Amino acid sequence: MIIRILLLLGLGATGWFVFLRRNRLPVHIMTVFALIAAGAVAVLFPETTQHAADLVGVGRGTDLITYIAIVAVLFVLLHYYTKFVDLQRQLTEVARELAILRAEVDRVAPPARSSDQPDRAAG
Amino acid sequence: MESDRSVTWVVIAAYNEGKVIRGVVREVVQDGWQVVVVDDGSRDHTIEEARAGGALVVRHPINLGQGAALQTGIDYALRRGARYIVTFDADGQHNAADIPALIDALADADVALGSRFLGKQIEGATARRKVLLRTATMVSNGLSGMKLTDAHCGFRAIRASVAPKLRILQDRMAHASELLRKIHTSGVRVVEVPTTVRYTEHSMSKGQGGVQAVRILFDYFFRA
Repeated sequence: MIIRILLLLGLGATGWFVFLRRNRLPVHIMTVFALIAAGAVAVLFPETTQHAADLVGVGRGTDLITYIAIVAVLFVLLHYYTKFVDLQRQLTEVARELAILRAEVDRVAPPARSSDQPDRAAG
Repeated sequence: MESDRSVTWVVIAAYNEGKVIRGVVREVVQDGWQVVVVDDGSRDHTIEEARAGGALVVRHPINLGQGAALQTGIDYALRRGARYIVTFDADGQHNAADIPALIDALADADVALGSRFLGKQIEGATARRKVLLRTATMVSNGLSGMKLTDAHCGFRAIRASVAPKLRILQDRMAHASELLRKIHTSGVRVVEVPTTVRYTEHSMSKGQGGVQAVRILFDYFFRA
């Protein structure tokens, strides 16, 4: 059962990574650990996914996992896309402020042209 | 009127326009307008050339896109106490002699949009380009709900008092459609003014083609 070991190692590594970066709200950490635990259960006892599938009316356990994974991936994509657009907007605002500020500073106190023309720097 | 010129700022967004920007700026400066060139992180000598032409240069530390550059220029103009703001393309396709007509149109409007199709000539445009421009205008009118003869002319005059209502959030090329939508929904008074356009080999190479149109539509719908 090499695949089980590999999957559990992957889940364990993910959990460890989240634990190391635990600067978020406790509820985030608990959610991630709950998901990892559910994943571990599914790896160790595959028949549980079949029971879950039967409960919600999906034919096979693997299908249920696929459906959940697709929705989860879409959710994560959307989440990061929204975040990306927000960050880009903030970056634009910061760059704009910097550009205008620099122009205003240059207007009030023009930069020295070069070291061999010190007289210009004063003007 | 001379008093108009001291309270008017011409905003030119430029990205790698080193070859032509000096002449474009000079033409506007010689007519007595105040010019701010927003350099959008160019890799060439756009900044030096724009300064040589007589413009004040505001430079983005990184390339953000034409929409972002225009808004930076508008913010700068407002900061300098502009009453009228003109947007002007950096590639030399517009004619500085048309600026007074746009400013005059603001006497009883808040926004004056230059139109390449309102009577005056389009110099040097290919048939293919005209079809593309007409199609873009139709799509844009559909999106903005307005009936304009030319939706994507970069030549406009805006009253400073309405500029905050028309803030551009689209950093890249979808800003033109965004601006029209905001003009429509904010209820500012808008008028179209015929302007001449000179298409040169240089301005054509910087223009938007059919492929970019798809990207602009994507931006418009998914980044607003």
